[in-house]
Amino acid sequence: MTDHKPPYLGFGLGLRPQHYQEILSGNPAIDWFEVISENYMIPGGQPLRILEQIRERYPLVMHGVSLSIASTVPLDTEYLTALKRLADRVEPKWISDHLCWTGVHGVNLHDLLPVPYTQEALDHVVDRVSQVQDFLGRRLTLENVSSYVTFGQSEMTEWEFVTEVANRADCWLLFDVNNVYVSAFNHGFSTDEFLHGVPQDRIVQFHVAGHSHEEGHIVDTHDHPVCGEVWDFYREAVTHFGPVSTMIERDDNIPPLAEVVAELDIARQIAREVQEGARLTAAE
Amino acid sequence: MTSLKELQARFQAGILTGDDTILDEVKDSAREQRSVLFGVYRHAYVARLAEVLANDYELLHTYLGDASFAKLAKAYIDANPSDQRSARWFGRHLPVFAKDTAPFASHPELGEIAALEKALADAFDGPDATPLTVADLAATPAEDWPRLTLEPHPTAIRLTFTSNAADIWSALKGETQPPTSTRLPEPQALIVWRQGFMARFRPLAAEEAMMWNEAAKGVRFGVLCEMVAIFAGEDGAEVRAATYLKDWIEAGMLAGCRVEPAHAPLEGAPLEGAGNSASVRPVSQ
Repeated sequence: MTDHKPPYLGFGLGLRPQHYQEILSGNPAIDWFEVISENYMIPGGQPLRILEQIRERYPLVMHGVSLSIASTVPLDTEYLTALKRLADRVEPKWISDHLCWTGVHGVNLHDLLPVPYTQEALDHVVDRVSQVQDFLGRRLTLENVSSYVTFGQSEMTEWEFVTEVANRADCWLLFDVNNVYVSAFNHGFSTDEFLHGVPQDRIVQFHVAGHSHEEGHIVDTHDHPVCGEVWDFYREAVTHFGPVSTMIERDDNIPPLAEVVAELDIARQIAREVQEGARLTAAE
Repeated sequence: MTSLKELQARFQAGILTGDDTILDEVKDSAREQRSVLFGVYRHAYVARLAEVLANDYELLHTYLGDASFAKLAKAYIDANPSDQRSARWFGRHLPVFAKDTAPFASHPELGEIAALEKALADAFDGPDATPLTVADLAATPAEDWPRLTLEPHPTAIRLTFTSNAADIWSALKGETQPPTSTRLPEPQALIVWRQGFMARFRPLAAEEAMMWNEAAKGVRFGVLCEMVAIFAGEDGAEVRAATYLKDWIEAGMLAGCRVEPAHAPLEGAPLEGAGNSASVRPVSQ
C-alpha cells in the first residue's frame, strides 16, 4: 500500500441521528465526525442526504462493525462492494473496523467477538487484511476490542498480536482507550504494557468512551460518560503517542449534543495540558 | 489445539444454543468464573437484538408493553439468527413471524402493526427517485393518454389489513389510547410511500386500490379507465381515474410515466418499434 498516514483531524464525535438537526443548524465546533458505515449502506432517503450535507462541512471517517476480519468464513464480497461504494461517496479520511469476528456459517451475532492470540489466527487475519486492503485500494484501520474471555490456546499477548497484525498486514490502528482499560481490568493486565506494546507510528485514531462496571468485570456499553480512570489513561496515551485524532464514542443513552461536546472539551483540555507540559519539559 | 474454525463454531454455538463446550477453551479470570465471563456474550446477543427490534417496532412495543414485547422478541430472535451485516435488516421478518406464529397469530393486529412499521421504515430509507409532476404529465398529448403507463415511486408499498391495525398505529403515534382491536368486515387497502423525506401512508378505497394495483403492473391508462368503469360504473369513470392519478402525482406516489407504442407486443414476442422503452413489461390487454 502506498497511501500516506492519514492526517491529524483533531477532536471529533461519532455521528448519531439524534444530533443531526443540531449539527446542521448550529455548525458546532467539532473538528470531524465518524460515521457507522453500515448505517449508511441503505438505498436512499434522508440519512444519505444528511450525510452529504455533513460531509460538505466536516471531514468524515468511516467506522464499520461487521467486516468480521478474523472470521474463518470467506470474506463477504457483497459487503465489501457496498463498503467501497459508500467510501467512494463519502471519501473518508480513513476506514476502520474491529480486530474481531462477528459470526460464522451465515450468521451475524452483531457483536465484536474475541480472537485467540495464536500464530494460526495471526496468519489468518494478516491474509484477510491484505485482501480487504487490495479490494478497497487503501489501508484499513483496525481497532482493538473490549473482551471478556481469554483463550487457553493463546500464545502471545493482545498487544503483541495487534502489533504483528499491523506490521505484517501494513495497516493502521485505532487505539480504543476505553477498550484497553476494560480488557486490562477483565484480564488482569496492565494498561501501560498495552500502551507501550503497540507501534506508535501505526496509530491514527483514539476512541474514548464510557462503560458499565459489574462486580468482577467491566462491560463495554458506551452508554455512560467517560470515567476518571479512562481520562487518566487517555492522558497517558496522549503523552506516549503525541497528538492523535480523538473521538468520543457514545452508542446508547445518547445525551444532548452539548453534553458530548463537553466531554470532547475534556479531551481537548487534556491534550493541551500534555502538549504544554511537554513544551515546558523541552524548554528546561 | 482446536482450530480457529472449530473454536469460532463452538463460540457461536455457545451463544446461540447455550452449548457449554466452548467453556473448555476459555479461562477463569482472577475475579470471575469463565461461565460468568462468557455469559456477557450470551446476554449481549439477545439484549442487543431485542433492542434493535424495540427500536424498529417502537409502536408495537408500546402496544404490547415491555413483557409481551420481550416474549415476541425472544421468540423471534430464537427463530431467526441474524444473517445480515447490518442490524437494520434483522427484524425484517417480524411482521410475517407475528402473523404466523402462536400465540401472536391469534391477534392479527400485531403482525399488521409490525407490517406498517416495517413498510414506513423501508420507505424512509428506500431508493431515491424524482417524483412525477403534473407538468410532466401535461407534456403528454391528449391522444397518447390511453397508451400511458405509470411508474410507482420505488418506495411505494401496498398493504392489505384484516384488522384495525392502521387505526391502532395512528392512536399510538398520537400518544392516545388505541382502539380495541377488531377484525374489519372488509380487508383494508393501504399504501405506504415516501414524500420528500417523510414516510407516509394512507388508506385506499377499493376502486382506487384496484386501479393502483393494475397501474403498478404496467397496465395502460386507457385500460385502467375501462377497469374503473367495470368496477363501479361507467358514469364518470374517466374522471374518477383521472382524479386518482392526480392525487397520486400530488402526493409523490409516482416516479414516472411513458407512452407505450401503439401496438403492444404480445407476451414473449420480440419488442417492435419500442425504441427506448425496451424495458417496458408486456401489457395484458
